[in-house]
Amino acid sequence: MIPQEYFLVLAAILFIIGAFGVLTRKNAIVVLMSIEIMLNAANINFVTFAAYRHDIAGQVFALFSIAIAAAEVAVGLAILLNLQKQSDTIELNELKILRW
Amino acid sequence: MAFADLTWLIPVLPIVGLLLAAALGKKTPEGGGYFVVGGIAVSCLISLLVAFEFLTGNGQVISVSQTWIQLNDSLKFEIGYYIDGLTALMLIVVSILCTVIVIYSLGYMREEGDRKRRYYIEIALFVTGMLGLVVASNYLEMFIFWEIVGLCSYLLIGFWYHKPSAAKAAKKAFLVTRIGDIMFMIGIITLFASFGSLNFRDLFDPTFFEQAHVDSGMLAFGLFCLFGGSMGKSAQFPLHDWLPDAMEGPTTVSALIHAATMVKAGVFLVARSFPLMVHSPDVLLVVAAIGGFTALYAATMALNNPNIKRVLAYSTISQLGYMFLALGAGGYMIATAGNNEGIAELGNAGYMAGMFHLMNHAFFKALLFLGAGAVIHAVHTEDMRLMGGLSKKMKITSIVMLIGALSIAGVPPLSGFWSKDEVLASAWNAGAVNSGFYLLYLFGVVTAFLTAFYMFRLWFMTFSGEQKEAAHHAHEASKVMVVPLMFLAVFAFASGFVLLVPDGGLPAVINAVNVEGHLIPGETLGLGWVEKLFTEWQTWLSIAVALLGISIAYLAYYRKSISMDRFANGWASKPVYNLLLNRYYFPQGYDAFGSKVVYGFSLFIDWIDTKVIDGTVNGISFVTVRWGALLRRAQNGLVQSYATVIVAALSALIVLLYIIGGLR
Repeated sequence: MIPQEYFLVLAAILFIIGAFGVLTRKNAIVVLMSIEIMLNAANINFVTFAAYRHDIAGQVFALFSIAIAAAEVAVGLAILLNLQKQSDTIELNELKILRW
Repeated sequence: MAFADLTWLIPVLPIVGLLLAAALGKKTPEGGGYFVVGGIAVSCLISLLVAFEFLTGNGQVISVSQTWIQLNDSLKFEIGYYIDGLTALMLIVVSILCTVIVIYSLGYMREEGDRKRRYYIEIALFVTGMLGLVVASNYLEMFIFWEIVGLCSYLLIGFWYHKPSAAKAAKKAFLVTRIGDIMFMIGIITLFASFGSLNFRDLFDPTFFEQAHVDSGMLAFGLFCLFGGSMGKSAQFPLHDWLPDAMEGPTTVSALIHAATMVKAGVFLVARSFPLMVHSPDVLLVVAAIGGFTALYAATMALNNPNIKRVLAYSTISQLGYMFLALGAGGYMIATAGNNEGIAELGNAGYMAGMFHLMNHAFFKALLFLGAGAVIHAVHTEDMRLMGGLSKKMKITSIVMLIGALSIAGVPPLSGFWSKDEVLASAWNAGAVNSGFYLLYLFGVVTAFLTAFYMFRLWFMTFSGEQKEAAHHAHEASKVMVVPLMFLAVFAFASGFVLLVPDGGLPAVINAVNVEGHLIPGETLGLGWVEKLFTEWQTWLSIAVALLGISIAYLAYYRKSISMDRFANGWASKPVYNLLLNRYYFPQGYDAFGSKVVYGFSLFIDWIDTKVIDGTVNGISFVTVRWGALLRRAQNGLVQSYATVIVAALSALIVLLYIIGGLR
């Protein structure tokens, strides 16, 4: 059996990659994708613990999480589409009207 | 049903008149004055019935009150009424005078036009306050009515507020009496803190007093503060200076508020507090000393004033001093009597003398003021130098004024004689206990002389001699003014005789309590007492000084065989003359105190306000604004920078928790 740590380390690496993407990329779609990576890192953790602790709840959570992620992408992409229509850009460093 | 059950109506009815006048005053004659007269008259009727019922009853004090404010078990205030002999006497005096004077003002204020409505509304409110003050069942209730009459006094002094002098006088009256009112309030708080109750029913109950175990110093302090309130309201030295200025108001106001009723509230307060006062001889000594001194001091200022109303105002202050002298002397004798019942009875006589003089003074001084009002109404000036020779044109007024003047001068058998003599007698009797009272007696006798002089100076200057220019168009006042004058003249002549009613009369009604809290029975005076009175040298002395004063005034102002101009311009007497005319420079003293001390202090306070308090507030807001300006730059609108902060902070938190071991 593959040790638990392998999965956890994989999840951690994925999470850091996602976080790095969120913080550094300018394109809002890429940022959205990075968020998905972070979500999936969390899902891996859920499933890992569910498998190793023989508790089905973790898998259920993972399924919920995937469903919510799908909804979130739908909303997010809709927002981005409107952004593109309104301000001709989805570059995050140019979208800074909500400020002092 | 007993009439006493209707007592609550007494202060309410004038308010009804007020509301009707306020609602309908513009459409009805006399600015709604008839409503007010009606309300006050019915209230007067009830007052007289209540007083009559009490005086013919068994003498049991009627005290009815109910809870008004209850904050917890010990903090509770009541509202109600308290009727004893003192209340009955005050009810009679106040309600009769209010009614008579308001009727008189129907004539006096006739030419005031639209302002009449305001006048009657304010008068009605005043009457409510005054009658409420008289029947109040505890000090708090009394204080509220006390403030209402103070407010009305302010409003009515400033009735002609477009005149700067009237506006100034109103402000002065308000501010000076305020000093007294604050002292009164401190007194009430002290009493409440000591006794836990403000009800007269409790405070005057000897067993309650016994159980309260109040520190005598604390009690003396509280009572002294109460007397401070009296000093302000009754214009006693050094808070006397507002009363002469208060003459800026209409003469009816001067008669009602500043001679007959409101200024008596201070005397009434001391008399009301007598069961407590007799436990503090020191306070009573102060009362007597201030009263005696004020009597003389104010009388001197009346000597050369050319303004007819101001002479009467000084006279009022002086006579109020007499009342305090009598109350103080009587109370002092009761307080120090111990087991000596003779002294206690003399003290009771002093107490009675004070209230007796209050009653008589209310009648004759109201008469004098209303007479002066009729004169002013006729000649349109208050300066007596422009009057003269009016007795031919205003026969009735001159006669009733003569009755008033004879009464206040103390010529037997008019009312003023009896009460003044009683006042002086009580001061003399107290001299046996504390020889300081002999000095006050001397003050009183000199005051009697001065009073006779200045009252007859007033009368001769106004009514005798050749007619001056102002007198040519003078005419007798209308009936609505003359009838009240004649009515009051009867009282001014005869009210002294209530002393002499066999087996009753005033001594049976007005009884002080001794230190143990028992009523001291008043000795019944009869014709035998009169016989005794006229064998004492003090009586003859006071009659002699009165006649001497009248004769000098006669020589100086009727025969003109003594030239007062010489006195006014003599090298030695001129400074004295000017000193008196300038009221001992007291107004200047007030002003100097106001402009130097109070203004300086206010500047200091202003400095604290603008620099320290505003500085602190502004400093806080400055720091806040500056920090805000700095911190808002963090809010740059870039989503990723926020996310960076979140991630960095969260990472730091995790690391921190790991280091201190929270993650185990």
